[in-house]
Amino acid sequence: MSGAETRDNFERDVSVGTFVGQNAAYYDKTFERLQRAELPHWHMNIWGLLFPWIWSSWRGVWLMFWLSLALDVTAITCLMQVVKFSPLLAEAQLNPEANTTLIPRYSGWISTYGTIGWILLIGGRLWMGRQANRWYYGQYNRWRILDSVSNGVAFKRVVLALVIMAICVPITTYRASQLRLDERACLNQVRAGEAVEDLLLRFELTDPTILSATLSAELSESQAAYDRLDALESPTAAQKSERSALRKSVRKLERENKAVNEYLAISTKDRFDCAFIDDFPTLTRIVPPGEVRYRRVPDEAAIAAGDLDATKVIIQQKPPVEGRRVTIFTYNAESIDTGINYLRAQYAGFFDAMTHILRQSLLRVEVAFMQTPWPVTAFLFLALSWAYTNRATTIFVAGSLAFLAVFELWQVAMQTMALVVVATAICVFVGLPVGIWMAKNKLFRWITEPVLDVMQTIPSLSYLVPAVAFFGISQPPAVLATVIFAIPPMVKLTALGILQVPESTKEAALAFGASERQLLRKVELPMAIPSIMAGLNQTIMLALSMATISAFIGAAGLGALVTESLGDAQAGKGLLAGIAIALVAMMIDRILRGIRASFSRI
Amino acid sequence: MSDAVVELENVWKVFGNRAAEAMEAIRTEGIGKAEVLERFDAVVGVKDASFKVPEGEIFCLMGLSGSGKSTLVRHINRLIEPTAGTIRILGEDIGAMKPDALRALRADKIGMVFQNMALLPHRSVRDNIGFALELRGMDGYRKFKAADKALETVSLHGYGDRLPSELSGGMQQRVGLARALAADPEILLMDEPFSALDPLIRRNLQDEFLSLSANLKKTTVFITHDLDEAIRMGDRIGIMKDGEIVQIGTAEDIVTAPADDYVADFVAGISRLKLVSAAKIMVGADEHVAKFGPVPKGAPEAKPEDDLDTLVSLSTGTDLPVIIKSDGKAVGVVTKDTLLQGLQGGTAA
Repeated sequence: MSGAETRDNFERDVSVGTFVGQNAAYYDKTFERLQRAELPHWHMNIWGLLFPWIWSSWRGVWLMFWLSLALDVTAITCLMQVVKFSPLLAEAQLNPEANTTLIPRYSGWISTYGTIGWILLIGGRLWMGRQANRWYYGQYNRWRILDSVSNGVAFKRVVLALVIMAICVPITTYRASQLRLDERACLNQVRAGEAVEDLLLRFELTDPTILSATLSAELSESQAAYDRLDALESPTAAQKSERSALRKSVRKLERENKAVNEYLAISTKDRFDCAFIDDFPTLTRIVPPGEVRYRRVPDEAAIAAGDLDATKVIIQQKPPVEGRRVTIFTYNAESIDTGINYLRAQYAGFFDAMTHILRQSLLRVEVAFMQTPWPVTAFLFLALSWAYTNRATTIFVAGSLAFLAVFELWQVAMQTMALVVVATAICVFVGLPVGIWMAKNKLFRWITEPVLDVMQTIPSLSYLVPAVAFFGISQPPAVLATVIFAIPPMVKLTALGILQVPESTKEAALAFGASERQLLRKVELPMAIPSIMAGLNQTIMLALSMATISAFIGAAGLGALVTESLGDAQAGKGLLAGIAIALVAMMIDRILRGIRASFSRI
Repeated sequence: MSDAVVELENVWKVFGNRAAEAMEAIRTEGIGKAEVLERFDAVVGVKDASFKVPEGEIFCLMGLSGSGKSTLVRHINRLIEPTAGTIRILGEDIGAMKPDALRALRADKIGMVFQNMALLPHRSVRDNIGFALELRGMDGYRKFKAADKALETVSLHGYGDRLPSELSGGMQQRVGLARALAADPEILLMDEPFSALDPLIRRNLQDEFLSLSANLKKTTVFITHDLDEAIRMGDRIGIMKDGEIVQIGTAEDIVTAPADDYVADFVAGISRLKLVSAAKIMVGADEHVAKFGPVPKGAPEAKPEDDLDTLVSLSTGTDLPVIIKSDGKAVGVVTKDTLLQGLQGGTAA
């Protein structure tokens, strides 16, 4: 750089210096090369490459921090699978005849997860190293427009980042290295704890170890007494009854002793596992009231009905009967059935592939939501709402999460969220291009608009029937029905956002030589973002409501609880699950609104 | 190659689904606007417009709203396709251009300023100004430099990092102008750029644009509905009415010799002080001498291109007529009577 050019750059030099805080010379040079499009593709920020978490938080590039955190945690999770399965493989190899299928399965998992893990770790780091300066440059440009964009260097942010990592990384890593917990293990733990509690009360003790000793002593005493009676040649009737009583008490003591020993045998690791890496720990088990008294009311209906024993006979007609006459409605309904069956049979491969893809993607997302330890998930939710909304909303989110946790709806809610996430992702990937096309093509808009209206007007339950017809019962058709129900706002608001761009603005862009594609990318889409975000918000809300209804065809999650309670007429269960759904919806809505608001600021 | 930078030749624009048929009918049968509307449900937007703008000239297109001036100016960068006629920019027929070449022309050669600014609200001022450069794939560094230079040109130095919404209307229009200038185009199209601004700011910007234009010497087509503005800005003025250019000439030509009653009505209220030159009203020197005898010594002198304002200043405080001299030779005489008539609207003829 010549002297004259340096002087020319004076103003910008100063502002880069103010922005970066430290190492201004390096960043000034790098930013200038970026601006000149002269930075080679392999250019890396060494700090970003080696310590992406620390570099990004120190400099306040939070997007990079979260991305690198997510990448590394995913990589570690994969590598932990190797740790998890290696001893199992060794064990299986020791006695090959025990189960020969296990060896290839374990070694397959180990090599696959190991490879993916290393690729993610190394590739992710390389990517971070490459992107670090580029993202930083983007942040610099935003900062020039908006002073509140984080700038400079701050150790406070590094501390915050370390806290976040301390909350997220160790527990997730540990979770990944452990086999899935036996579902009953944790319940047994709780039961053992309750039993010991009762015994402690009975013996007026506080220490389970002493309780165990007391029980052992009492057991051997009773055993000895029993043995003495048992040894008698000809016991009297009184002695006989005493003996059987003693036998019962010995059995009982044996059981109790066993429970206490089991309780004592519970390792700290098991306690930790049940508390933190599985479902939210069941805090308390409450003794339900043994008897509930109601005021007696005469059951008039039962008396009036009288013919309770009458049976109904349903005659089922086979469709093609000679000379059978049906109404136009029935005729068409049956024709549609036939058509669906035909398509189902004819294109079975297609539908099966769709089902497979949907199931697999849903499975992956479910794993992410359900296997992530609950403290991490809860922390992320709180962090999001803290970062993007106000204090009141954060308190509301905390309360909602507590509701889910205390009522043991955590895992179920996560299942619902997984379904919503997959459905929403599909809605975005399909809805966005369709919306753009709709905005661009009058004919297409003319055709699509009524279709979308109909999609929104048809009762949501109606979607379930064709979904079942084509894809059967289970999660995939539920996702599909949800997508159909939730996609219209995404499409409509994308189209609306693009159509709302003033004609004069588009004309100006064209007058300066924009091509159709540049017009879309640089003018129409950026200006449509508020509208698109509104569409996304509505889509998520609709997906959540449909996820509930599609429980009828086998969607797991909170909706399943509601339908179950409907079947069993358990109003309380249904109500609690319903409230949980509402809370999840409100939580997502509030957080998304916050994110939207911060988007519209730039 | 022609010497005109912008050249329009018999440009027609007919709006409607049956525009081509209508055009054919206009050609062969010479039907009028009303009949075109009745028979083909088509509207004539521009009717047989022809003009040339030589390099460095500011050409004003003046007309009331609906007179087709905005439509016509959009033909120059082919935002609107003409129904008939030829448009040449820098000697090249743009009707025959491929889309790529047309986009290149728009980005490199023609800058446009709009009445409602039409800035991109999501981009900073600097990124707005660099828009055309970005579209041409210029790297960020040169774009940054060029945008800052354009900002300095319109005296908005230091506003590059603001969003358009943070600026006042006048500043926004300066940004619009800077955007048009950033790519250093040869041609500027100004579509009523100052119409939406307060009178004071408008006046300000007009002056600034004039001084800027004197330096940059951009060939400019300037649209306005305000005759005062047209006279202030334009080297030449084209008056449009119902899609037709009724008269083209300098402000003086139009004011002193309106082509028809419409133009005459238009210019009736215009002050002639600064517009009309001595040459237009003076009586020939010989004629004057023949009538009144030689002009006494000590009479004030002026040049033929001096305006009436100067003549008025010269005539006050003396009873003598003003002698108009060109190259030291008396070519005409302006008496008080002629001057007063000239102020009112009469000419030497």
